[in-house]
Amino acid sequence: MIATILELLEVSVWAGIAAVGFGILFNIPKKAILTVFFLGFGAGLIKFVLLHFEVNIVLASLIAASFVGVLSLPLAHGIHQPPVVFSIPAVIPMIPGFYAYETVLSIMSFTFSEKNDSKRLIFMEDIFSNGFTMLFILISLTIGVSLPLLLLRKHTVKRVDLR
Amino acid sequence: MKTENRLEQIADLLLEIASILMVSGANTNRVDVNIDRFASVLHCESYSLISQKTMILTVIDTETKENYTKVKNLPSHKINFTIISAISKASWNALDEDWSLSKISQEIETIKAQKRYSRLVVLLAVSFSGAGFCKIFGGDYYNLALAFVSTFFGLLMLQTAHKREFNTYISVFLASLTASLLASLGVYFNLGTQPEATLATSILFLVPGVALINSFTDLLDKNVLNGMVRFSNGIMTVLAIALGLFVAMLIFQLK
Repeated sequence: MIATILELLEVSVWAGIAAVGFGILFNIPKKAILTVFFLGFGAGLIKFVLLHFEVNIVLASLIAASFVGVLSLPLAHGIHQPPVVFSIPAVIPMIPGFYAYETVLSIMSFTFSEKNDSKRLIFMEDIFSNGFTMLFILISLTIGVSLPLLLLRKHTVKRVDLR
Repeated sequence: MKTENRLEQIADLLLEIASILMVSGANTNRVDVNIDRFASVLHCESYSLISQKTMILTVIDTETKENYTKVKNLPSHKINFTIISAISKASWNALDEDWSLSKISQEIETIKAQKRYSRLVVLLAVSFSGAGFCKIFGGDYYNLALAFVSTFFGLLMLQTAHKREFNTYISVFLASLTASLLASLGVYFNLGTQPEATLATSILFLVPGVALINSFTDLLDKNVLNGMVRFSNGIMTVLAIALGLFVAMLIFQLK
C-alpha cells in the first residue's frame, strides 16, 4: 500500500518537473515556476490515482485538466499573471504521447511490413483504438483547461463594462 | 493633420502590441481584449482582423470620429509567456493610471527588451521534462537517462535549425529524427526495462501543445478561422514528428 502511494508520488513529482521544463521552454515568468510545478504535480497525482482505480484514461485526463483549469483562476489573481501562463504548461505532461506513438507504429506495420490479412485486421483495430483515445484525450485536455478560462472571461468583461 | 498623425501612431502601437501577443502564443480573444483595453485608454475605438500572418486594424477617435487603417505582417512565431503576462499587466495599469501614448510605447519597448532564459537552461529544463515523460510512461532510470540525452540533442538540433532559418516543419523533422535515432539505440541494444518508453517519449518535447490548446480555445470563442489555422499548423507539426520517428524506426528495422 505504502509502496504504491510512494510510487504514485514519485511519478507525480516527475510530472511536475516535466511541466516546469515546458514552462521554461515557453519562457514563463520566474515567479510562476513554483506554481507550475505544483499544478503539474497535482494534476499528475489526480490522474495517476484515478488510473490506479481503473478509471478510463480520457475521463481521468478530463478531471485532472479541469483541476488545473479551475485552480488557475484563483491563482491568477493571487500571483497577478494571466491563467494561461501556468495552465498550459501544467497539462502538457498529460499529452497522450504514448498513444500517438502506438498509432504511428500500427500504421507503419499495417502499411509496410504485414501481408497476412488477419494480422492486418489486428493492426487496423490498434490504429483506431489508439488514434481515437489520443484524439479524445487531447480534446478533454483542452476542454478541461479552457472552459473555466472562458467562463472567467465573461466576468472580467462584465467588470470592464461596469467601469 | 495633427490628429491623423496621432491616429497613425496609435494604430502603429496597437498593431505592434497585437503582433507581439500573437507571436508569443496568445489566443485570439486575448489579443482582442488587450487591444481594446489599450485603445480605450487612448480614447479610441479599435476594430481588427487578426490572422496568423497578417493583421488589419482600424482606429477611430471617439470624439472626432476620424479613422485610420493599417496592415501589418507578423514575424515568425516564438512562444513567450512572460510577454503575454507583462502586456496583460501593463494594460490594466494603463487603464487604472490613464497612461499616455508615449508612456505605453515606452513600456512596450521595455517588455520587448526582456531577456529569455538562456539556451543552456532551456536545453537542460526540457531534457528533464523528457526524462519526466519517460518516468510517467513507466521507464526505469536507465530509460530516463537515455530520454534525457535524446531530448537534449533533439532540442539542440531544433534550435540550430531555427537559427539557420530552415523551414519550421523541416526543423521539426530533423529534431524528431535526431531524438528518435538516439532513443532507438536503447531499443536496439535493449537497455533498461522499457526501452520503448524512451522511444515514445524522446519526441514529446516537439508536440505543439500551445497551438492545439489555443486552436480549441479559438474555436470555442467562435474565432473559427484562427482556430482552424492553428489546428492545421499543429497537425502539420505532428506529421513532421511522426515522419522523423518513422524514418528512425525504418533505419533500425524496429517493429
